[in-house]
Amino acid sequence: MALAEAFTFHDVVLVRDGRRILDSVSDHIHRGETTAVVGPSGSGKSTLLRLLNRFEEPTEGVILLDGKPLPSFDVHTLRRRVGLVAQRPTMLAETIGQEIRVGRPELEDDAVVRLLERVALPEVELDAATATLSGGEQQRVALARTLALDPEVLLLDEPTSALDDRSAEAVDRIIGSLVEDGLTAVLVSHDLSRVVHVADSVLVLHQGRLVERGGPGDVRYLS
Amino acid sequence: MNSSPHIPNWLGVLASVLLVGIAIGVSVRARLGLTKELVVAAARAFVQLVAVGAVLTVLFTRAGLIGALAWVAGMVVVAGFVAAGRARTLPRGRFIAWISVGTGTAVTVGVLLTVGVIEPVPSVVVPVGGMVVSGAMTATILTMRRLAETAQEQRPDIEARLALGLTAEEAMAPHLRRSVTVALLPAIDSTKVVGLIALPGAMTGLILAGVEPIVAVRYQIVVMYMLLAAASVSAIVASTLSRRALFDDADRLQRLPSGS
Repeated sequence: MALAEAFTFHDVVLVRDGRRILDSVSDHIHRGETTAVVGPSGSGKSTLLRLLNRFEEPTEGVILLDGKPLPSFDVHTLRRRVGLVAQRPTMLAETIGQEIRVGRPELEDDAVVRLLERVALPEVELDAATATLSGGEQQRVALARTLALDPEVLLLDEPTSALDDRSAEAVDRIIGSLVEDGLTAVLVSHDLSRVVHVADSVLVLHQGRLVERGGPGDVRYLS
Repeated sequence: MNSSPHIPNWLGVLASVLLVGIAIGVSVRARLGLTKELVVAAARAFVQLVAVGAVLTVLFTRAGLIGALAWVAGMVVVAGFVAAGRARTLPRGRFIAWISVGTGTAVTVGVLLTVGVIEPVPSVVVPVGGMVVSGAMTATILTMRRLAETAQEQRPDIEARLALGLTAEEAMAPHLRRSVTVALLPAIDSTKVVGLIALPGAMTGLILAGVEPIVAVRYQIVVMYMLLAAASVSAIVASTLSRRALFDDADRLQRLPSGS
């Protein structure tokens, strides 16, 4: 906890099929904050996110967590500390109770209920079918199943882009309260206006390069 | 192996060319445009079978058990090439196919020989081995193809599990079970309905050669059981090796080239 930086990027390059998806990215992601990574589609922002839980590997450069290179951590432990929530939630189990326990099978019922309260789903039954949930509810269940791992960092890939405004607001509020409780959040979005009210700092990517960084009021990405 | 009353002599074979003529006649009358293909197919069948017959005759009289097993090993190599060709997108496909077909064949033929179900002579080991290799190959192809497809279609599901800290083995477990099940269904189904729909090859052959049906079925029962074993072992080995090939050392699901 001593370090202010959760993640540090040193000249990160990622080449896929001859294309530079990320080009010399160097920066920090601060602990206990919400960092938004914005940019148009194809700017490399999702790839940047997937580097942090080692779903991708940099072609060149290094990424540090707590001052240590990511490959020095056991990858499964790393993925539990750095939880990724995908853009579209994929339900993995039949019931909500099973869904929350995919990564933590030993979890007691009351712990599962607390997690569901955390994501503003206090009323759902544990044995209700995941298939009957709305998109917004599924996204919150996916968030709860990640929170079950007790992560330090949450990686969120366009978590609200597939949701209606009301559900999106609910998810935003949840993320805000999680960060207040000490979590670090990294939020990817193509739309600065969707993250400007939740982000503490914003990184702007364009064609794989980090072109801007600053407070949510400072960046000019919108134009 | 002299000609018995049940097996046509070469004159009879020549007469059967008439049947090819009938097929060609149909093709011409109905303007199917298949005449050339029919002639080529019939000629190929003749040449290939005569060649195989000659080789096997030499093999059966001279090779001994070691030669017969070497022949079976050669079939495994060919089957591996075929299986890998059907699952091109899978990394290390050829290696996976060889090990899978080879293990299924070795275990099955090994048990048959050790328990003494079949005689350790080339005239038995080679045809039985051929059936085993073929069954093992089918199960291997089905498993490899299915897993390569699953890895692409189910990427969001698999990555969601990996993101929750599950190992590649845990994340693939439900998909692996489904793939192996699908690969084994043909073998199980044909075992279930054997004799009801069609008389299977081994039994038909024995009956044509003059063996009483009630005796011939003994061989067929053994054949069905050995095919179940070969398919099961090959499918399990293929699924385990394919799963390993689909992930790298950081338990990342590989991107496969599209298409098969």
